[in-house]
Amino acid sequence: MLKRVLVANRGEIACRILHACREANIEGVAIFAANDAGTLFTELADISIQLAGEGLAETYLNQQQIIEIAQENGCDSIHPGFGFLSERADFAQAVIDSGLIWIGPSPGAITQMGDKMTARITMRAAGVPVIPGEEVDGGLEQVLAVAPSVGYPLLLKATSGGGGKGMRAVHDPADLESEAKAAMREALNAFGDDRIYVERLLVGSRHIEIQILADQHGRTIHLGERECSIQRRHQKVFEESPSVALDPELREQMGEAACEAARAVSFEGAGTVEFLLTPKGEFFFLEMNTRIQVEHPVTEMVTGVDLVKEQLRIAAGQPMSCPSIISMRGHAIEVRLYAEDPSNNFLPAIGKLQVFKPPTGPGVRLDTGVRQGDEVTPNYDPMLAKLIVWAPSREEALARMARALDKFVVLGCITNLRFLRELCEHKDVVEGWTTTDMIDRLWPDGWSPDQNEIIRKAGLLIASSCEATAFGKTVSSIYSEHVSPFATLNRRFP
Amino acid sequence: MDFKTKDGILEIEPQRNGSQFSYEGLILDLSGGLWLEIDGRKHKAHATKVGDVWWVHILGHTMCFELIEPGATGGMEEGAMTSPMPGKILEVLVKVGQQVKTGQALMIMEAMKMEHKIVANQDGIIQEIHYEQGAQVDQGAQLLSIE
Repeated sequence: MLKRVLVANRGEIACRILHACREANIEGVAIFAANDAGTLFTELADISIQLAGEGLAETYLNQQQIIEIAQENGCDSIHPGFGFLSERADFAQAVIDSGLIWIGPSPGAITQMGDKMTARITMRAAGVPVIPGEEVDGGLEQVLAVAPSVGYPLLLKATSGGGGKGMRAVHDPADLESEAKAAMREALNAFGDDRIYVERLLVGSRHIEIQILADQHGRTIHLGERECSIQRRHQKVFEESPSVALDPELREQMGEAACEAARAVSFEGAGTVEFLLTPKGEFFFLEMNTRIQVEHPVTEMVTGVDLVKEQLRIAAGQPMSCPSIISMRGHAIEVRLYAEDPSNNFLPAIGKLQVFKPPTGPGVRLDTGVRQGDEVTPNYDPMLAKLIVWAPSREEALARMARALDKFVVLGCITNLRFLRELCEHKDVVEGWTTTDMIDRLWPDGWSPDQNEIIRKAGLLIASSCEATAFGKTVSSIYSEHVSPFATLNRRFP
Repeated sequence: MDFKTKDGILEIEPQRNGSQFSYEGLILDLSGGLWLEIDGRKHKAHATKVGDVWWVHILGHTMCFELIEPGATGGMEEGAMTSPMPGKILEVLVKVGQQVKTGQALMIMEAMKMEHKIVANQDGIIQEIHYEQGAQVDQGAQLLSIE
């Protein structure tokens, strides 16, 4: 059993982990940069320690400082959350070397899954289907030679690439040579390495991922899938489980492939194996995330398993508490609330959350890092909270999400609430035709809110009436200046 | 009363009757919270003022209305390009005296871990550039001017 966990993260995920610690009767230690002082997660912790320094490198990414704080404050373990240091094998190793427990998979597993090419080769060897393609180190000649066997349309990717550099889509064999030259030139300029690999371009595919748990007692299980196809700028905004595209048989096949992937790197803890599912029903390994994921709550809602608490158990060497066969019940959807303007190319926004009234009701869960009165600053990721709903069916879950989003009031900072709300009613979403390219496909010229004349007039009437009466400028309870009428009573309870 | 919105400047003079205001068939009651009546049905509204801007939430929609104070010059100076958020200037793409067209990229800035283009809001000639590459800018800082 762990006794005191240092949470090496901030915001919403730090809150999530600290809640789990509290419920598991484990003490939680928060670390925070000066510009996070007073935010929600620092209040939820048993102990909060301010990090010295400014900027990410000196604070949340400062491995040495974080480990020292853990040691000085009697922590026995570190939970990295997601992002930041969560997939840094060197940090995992440093934590272990300092005598602390690393709540996550081994540094070896992180390394093997972190490098795209290594992961691809490891997975192929383990019998997990990878996207048809070839690694090429023999230059242009070899690219031209392997292309026909890979098939069109294809994608040229820089071996040491990232961020879209050195990446080219080729639809017509006639363009292959010039595109390959361009990709290699770009790769050489950007990464000092002109090796590229050729991969089939899977158009109209779905992003399906399988949640994995593996403990130190030899058990590796999957907890079904999450469908995360709706993305903007390669970031997910809408996730659900189960996926409409999977039947029990395909779920079992993909689940088993994901368990194989995890076993191939001796994975321990909570992880996610991402696949592309083509319209034909073929699935291919994309990558494995060796950490808890943003969208983990949808799996928790349909399986009833608390993934973060299982992480804590597994790290302490205990067997996981859930059964080998997980039954999935009902349907869960998560949307990510971002401080951003969807009508202006999803540009991040800042401001004070003057009003922040989340919805409530049956089957509604909010995982938030903020509350009313907080300032949204440009210092960190603009994700504010995640709204999750559960209902017996997908149709009811969509209706519940729509209802919840309508009741979610955020004033003072622009958010994507309305965009999320309209997604819930979009024909393609309702019918389950969600693909990774759908936002660009549905709104090629950008999104703008579906506001009718009545809504605009209502808004104008409200603003002008409030201005005329100075409404809302003196917000106070009608009782705030009075003595409670009950204060003078002394009731005896028999 | 005049408000600046995404759709331009809108003018409104609502009819007042005690705690009720009405405008083109809509009725708003302010006696206990904000209740908007449309076709006989009541809907709860929320509103708050931040600076000169009224933020309004009604029927799942959030809108902003910037009050134009009577006698004000009309907000921002013509041709002034300001920073949409605090950040760092990564690149200056134009020079003083250069002819630019509406929508042309003038600067690249980095904020919230992403790159953003600052584009020209009118055709004209660059008069002044107030920040150099590498400079930190505050939200609302005037970056350059076009005439």
